[in-house]
Amino acid sequence: MAEKKPIGTVLVAGAGVSGIKAALELAEIGYKVLLTDASPQIGGILAKLDNQFPSDHCGMCRILPMVGREYASQYCMRKGLYHENIEILPFTELTRVEGDVGNYTIELLKKARYIDTDKCNGLGECIKVCPVEVPDEFNHGLTQRKAVYKPVPHSTPQMLLVDMDVCTNCGECVKVCPTNVINLGAEDEAFTRHVHSIILASGVKLYNLEEFEDAKSWAVSQDVISALAFERIISGTGTFDGQIKRPSDGKPAKKIAWVQCMGSRNRRQKRDYCSSICCMFALKEAMLARQKGGDDVEATIFYMDMRTFGKDFYRYYEKAVDAGVKFIRCRVQEVMHNPDKSLSMRYYDSQKEEFFVADYDMVVLSTGQIPHKTHAKLAKLFHLELNCQGLLPTQIYDKVKLVKPGVFLCGSLMGLTDLSEAISSGIAAAGQASTLLSSLDVTIIEEEQIAEPTTKDRQVPLISVVLCKCSEKVEKSSVDFGALEMGLKKFNFVGEVNIIDMVCSDQGKENLLKLLKKSQSNRLIIGACHPFMYRKSLKNLAKKAGFAASLIEIFDLSSIVHKGFFESVKKDQTHEAYSEIISIMENLKLKPALHVETLSMNRTALVVGGGIAGMHASFALAQRGVDVHLVEKSDKLGGYAGNNIHATIDDLEPVSMAKDLMIKVLEHKNIILHKNCEVAATQGSFGAFETRIRDLENQENQYLSHGAAIIATGGLEGKTAEYEYGNSANILTQAQLREGLSTGKIDVSDAQNIVMIQCVGSREKQGRKYCSRICCIGAIANALAIQEKNPDARIFILYRDVMTYGFAEQYYTKARGAGIVFVSYDLDKKPEVELVDGKPVIKFTESVLNSEIELSPDFLILSPGVDPEVSNREVGKAFDLPVNDDGFFIEADSKWRPIEFLRTGFYVAGVAHSPMTLKDAILQAEAAAQKVYAHLSSRKIHRAHVISKVHDAICVRCQRCVDICPYDARSYDKVLDSIMVDAAACQACGMCGVACQNNAARIMGFSDKQIMAVIDAKLSENPMFMVGK
Amino acid sequence: MDFSESDKDLWKQIYNTKDLLYCLNCSTCLSGCPASHGDPPLLVRNLARMVVFGLEDDLLDDDTPWACVSCSRCEEMCPMDVKPFEMILAIRKWQSANDETRVPPSIVEIYKRGYTQSVGTNTKLRKSLGLPELQTITKMPQMLKLYQQMLMKTPVVSENDYMFNEE
Amino acid sequence: MELCLFLGCNTPAIRPDVERAIRATMPELGVDLAEVEGYVCCPAFGSFPSTDDDSHLASSGWNLSIAEAKGLDIMVQCGSCYSSLRMGLDHLAHDDLKLARVNELLELTGRKLECKTAVRHVSEILYNEVGVEKISRTIKKSLEGLHGVIQYPCHTLFPSEIVGFEESPRQPKALRVLTEALGATVESYSRELQCCGGAGGFSSSSPAEATAFTKTKLDAIIEETKADFIVVSCITCLMYLDNIQKKLNEAENTDKYNIPVFDYNQLLALCMGFDPKQVASICTIPRNLVIDRL
Ligand code: SF4
Ligand code: SF4
Ligand code: SF4
Ligand code: SF4
Repeated sequence: MAEKKPIGTVLVAGAGVSGIKAALELAEIGYKVLLTDASPQIGGILAKLDNQFPSDHCGMCRILPMVGREYASQYCMRKGLYHENIEILPFTELTRVEGDVGNYTIELLKKARYIDTDKCNGLGECIKVCPVEVPDEFNHGLTQRKAVYKPVPHSTPQMLLVDMDVCTNCGECVKVCPTNVINLGAEDEAFTRHVHSIILASGVKLYNLEEFEDAKSWAVSQDVISALAFERIISGTGTFDGQIKRPSDGKPAKKIAWVQCMGSRNRRQKRDYCSSICCMFALKEAMLARQKGGDDVEATIFYMDMRTFGKDFYRYYEKAVDAGVKFIRCRVQEVMHNPDKSLSMRYYDSQKEEFFVADYDMVVLSTGQIPHKTHAKLAKLFHLELNCQGLLPTQIYDKVKLVKPGVFLCGSLMGLTDLSEAISSGIAAAGQASTLLSSLDVTIIEEEQIAEPTTKDRQVPLISVVLCKCSEKVEKSSVDFGALEMGLKKFNFVGEVNIIDMVCSDQGKENLLKLLKKSQSNRLIIGACHPFMYRKSLKNLAKKAGFAASLIEIFDLSSIVHKGFFESVKKDQTHEAYSEIISIMENLKLKPALHVETLSMNRTALVVGGGIAGMHASFALAQRGVDVHLVEKSDKLGGYAGNNIHATIDDLEPVSMAKDLMIKVLEHKNIILHKNCEVAATQGSFGAFETRIRDLENQENQYLSHGAAIIATGGLEGKTAEYEYGNSANILTQAQLREGLSTGKIDVSDAQNIVMIQCVGSREKQGRKYCSRICCIGAIANALAIQEKNPDARIFILYRDVMTYGFAEQYYTKARGAGIVFVSYDLDKKPEVELVDGKPVIKFTESVLNSEIELSPDFLILSPGVDPEVSNREVGKAFDLPVNDDGFFIEADSKWRPIEFLRTGFYVAGVAHSPMTLKDAILQAEAAAQKVYAHLSSRKIHRAHVISKVHDAICVRCQRCVDICPYDARSYDKVLDSIMVDAAACQACGMCGVACQNNAARIMGFSDKQIMAVIDAKLSENPMFMVGK
Repeated sequence: MDFSESDKDLWKQIYNTKDLLYCLNCSTCLSGCPASHGDPPLLVRNLARMVVFGLEDDLLDDDTPWACVSCSRCEEMCPMDVKPFEMILAIRKWQSANDETRVPPSIVEIYKRGYTQSVGTNTKLRKSLGLPELQTITKMPQMLKLYQQMLMKTPVVSENDYMFNEE
Repeated sequence: MELCLFLGCNTPAIRPDVERAIRATMPELGVDLAEVEGYVCCPAFGSFPSTDDDSHLASSGWNLSIAEAKGLDIMVQCGSCYSSLRMGLDHLAHDDLKLARVNELLELTGRKLECKTAVRHVSEILYNEVGVEKISRTIKKSLEGLHGVIQYPCHTLFPSEIVGFEESPRQPKALRVLTEALGATVESYSRELQCCGGAGGFSSSSPAEATAFTKTKLDAIIEETKADFIVVSCITCLMYLDNIQKKLNEAENTDKYNIPVFDYNQLLALCMGFDPKQVASICTIPRNLVIDRL
């Protein structure tokens, strides 16, 4: 590189999950990211949630990069985010944007924290003395905090701040601060930066009980709480250490009611949308309540529609029904508290035609999401008008592209999203930004490549110990470093002990490098604070000084030191540190030097499926210079939507859109199209796959080499034989109706009654066990189309739950306003259809008046939903990718890794994943392309040192390890008759080692001998200072 | 329930506002309605449905709209802004127009003396409380006459004039 | 300020002591009262508003136009009158066709309506215009040591965009704050926002159920509070809550339902030193326990 190009820099404004994900994606490629957030701490609402559906536990760390794990440090994300390419700016707002695509000058305003967090030791002496007490936002007012406080109690490092709104300026904190970092006179600070692209990711606001009118009728007792507050109650780090007690008196809550749609689906209060997430939220909480509180906990959900539209949501709902969660379809107006503190709710049972009053210990309000206030502010920054839904205007097919080129958005700015959508949109937005950056004259931050030094592992172990005393933060450390040094030096395998200071600073690092260069030792222990933040740079530094990467141990010294401050009975921290170091040394002494080769990447991608998702992903990759093999089973591109759906309710035109895309795909030099071909088998591992495809016409085989693959096989319209389908010309599917209406073949102008039945064969134990997601909206679109042609027709839509989640709720409202009548039916009382003179006669129970209706409609329209592509199982087999019972592919993690497979190098997009709307499919395709690009853009992948291996000679091929590996890293190769380990996928979790009965599955650098040595060291009294004293 | 008998457009006669059609059948209105405690209960949600379905006969026969205490809770709480209380009044109006036995006797009182009670006749009591004599319309025959003339032009009075004329 | 006092039917006819209390207290607080000569029934919801739009709105228009001719806003105590007038006004002010039709009808009588008159509730005037400070400054006696509970008139709360004046209609506080200004301790209870149940046809068409409904409210007051009195600001609430207690005592053969009910202005008048015999003399449940403590 002759000239120095600027490093591609992206502003990610908003550090909720989607923002964090976008930032990580870009940082991994090597771009520089400024990650800002208006709140004092990053992480959005997720810092509060311990448990997510469907696994009911946290899993946020799963969004961290998993390939090249040792270089991309791993840590608990609820504590914070650390990446050397990401500059985190909490409490900072974007105030001005100037410039155009690829070149923006932004102005940021950093709000005063009144505490220099770089120097603060986080011990909170100030908090102890602050006299002001206010309800704590983090625990939703269930607890109190001071004016100086930690916004997220478990974050690392601790990021304190002073809440000036409540601070009385008494100055007590300033007096006690040992590090002298409180400045109550601090001011906000404005500064400008240059960036090449902008991703907007400011999150949602969860409906706050105090803020809105409808929640106020419920504010009658402390035991009526918001869903998020309940989340804090069941959290292990929360109010009652995870026990379910009612806030008013701490008594166990045994009867709990959830009230849905609080603050959502309210036209009167101008919130005519469904907040999409709260149904699943309530289900999860109800399940957790029973899990944690025991079977005698009664959980009841008051609802209108259980919106279980997403992948596996319905299964979860069934699980909840089976687990005894009670569901009552009634939107209740108010709650009354009784003298014994219980809470009474009165509801009407339409089937029994009777009112009931039920008492609960606790009532949880399913407070929904509302678009953040910042939407309007952002619109102003970019000189845009918000659309009718209060959202920023985006390009019609790309939810992540703002109408302004060069600016992208993700997460809740796109609408009301759930976690997995937030993640995929974060990736997709990063993808768009990186596409843009790859077309600009910018460069990436090159990985510092430090050659692995020649091994010294055959030499007698000689350990160098470096301890950072961190004086800036731990002034009054109770550890006696001098004594420690003396104690350690007595061992003959210790080369030297260096006590240094501030190794986190540049000066400190320079000092350390000098010291290490002089060292004769061959192994190294470094004790410092926050190892997850500094591990990478310290390791690189040590490597430069000639240490082998696998022979360096970095441990957390500061928390040992800190502990001394917290515990009232002070243990001897010096001794604690000493014994910690001894045990690490015992391990290190025995450690082998591990050598790894980097994997080289084949920079070609394979895309299976030529529907809109597949084409979009192919084109997105091709544009960024990646070669693509696009394999399509049929003889034409476009898939189901691209060939059949001409228009959608949100004004999309899939067929014409697909045509345009097709031309781009066909014309692009980087895309090779294989039509009429199916995938047969694959070999190899991440970065170097070879896949055999078969031409269906001439049965010829072809072998394609690729580094990664995207599965985008798509879906089909569901089939049914229910409700006399096929036996009458007047019984049609929604697709037939849509087609017939657009061609004019179906004439509805004289129709008097038209009945539509939803969920035909969907969401049933026998049949599709999932919600097809698009048929409710589809039925509404068709009903409105009929209405337009024949306003006199009476249209009935028989439904179980109307799945118009998010802003699609407005279509539901519109349809009712147009006079379309919605009648709910129960699964155990489905409508009955019979044919009289070849015409359908339908009987159903009208749910509101609870009366039987018999009708002879002119047309009976069925919504049979979406089926998976039939070839999914074969494709799954060919690639060794899992397919669920329904026939859709199973992603690695439904919330945190929604578009990846466990098998490294494979991604999923579109209906292959689950039924979804066109925009969502495009978004996933974009995200999948980004993931592939991120991997293929770096020519080499650093494998981890510590991975599992197979001792082939003693392996009996029982394949226990293959089954148990949670990362799909192990497989059995029939040809070689051996167990194979995918080095990129293995996370060294050790499960295989546990499962293997022959000790054939081994984790490198984790021998039994080492472990025993560590245990021995820990157990033995390490009388210190034998020499010193 | 026989739908062939029902009038799809009845709602336009009764309560001609799209607000009604937005009803979600969510039950908010009836869950807090005081008159829903009655026997038979006033079920606002069901009335809305009956209007939408156009169940003319059932609606004409239904007494429950008259049990409403006019608290307007339903109106405040209805998430779809159906304005159920307005609908209750609209149903009553429609019933009164189609069935003279529904016409409330109180309007005859008002026609005759301006009030539902005999206002201003308790002069002795008022005096003892230190209250002035009231300028009621009853005591202003000319004004009362004008008021009555005006009412005569309204449907309920003109169509049921026999109720008002007999002296 | 000067306002037209709209009395409605029940107050002057059945509970004129409330009228006396209003007429006594408001001028002392700087609110002069004018008459609405020749006014008619508001119209009550069970009358013209249940028959047709013309008779309904013409009656509203009649009343509004009298005040409008005087150039004054209207002040009402009765909840139904207040709500009926405000809803009538709302229809007329927002619907030109309806207003034109009403003016057609009013024209016959030589009147006309431009919807310039506002309709306000007495508790809102006291809360917003007079203010608690002035009230506490003006009173001569205090309710200190006495416990009160509030019955909020539904008609002053819902539908909030038409009749409301509270910051939050679901967490109203005007009457509480006003009562506290008289020195009383105001207690909350679980069924504070429950309707008294007295208006409309409910109590006559389902007498047993209606009584049971209101009984839950009174029981909540008795069980949960140390209430010495109930404060209302609506003539229907006043009469209904007062009379029903006697009924309950008779039906249950007890004397536990004996909480005196006061209109707010009655309490105000008492605290200002007016003669109880004039401002608080008509009741079913005796009020002497409270009056004697003053
Ligand atoms: S229907 Fe929508 S708004 Fe209502 S609770 Fe469910 S997800 Fe939330
Ligand atoms: S089970 Fe074994 S192979 Fe799988 S990730 Fe864990 S250590 Fe690696
Ligand atoms: S509250 Fe409104 S939307 Fe709900 S059932 Fe009643 S009228 Fe319908
Ligand atoms: S206004 Fe009538 S229908 Fe509505 S809640 Fe009150 S009593 Fe019930």
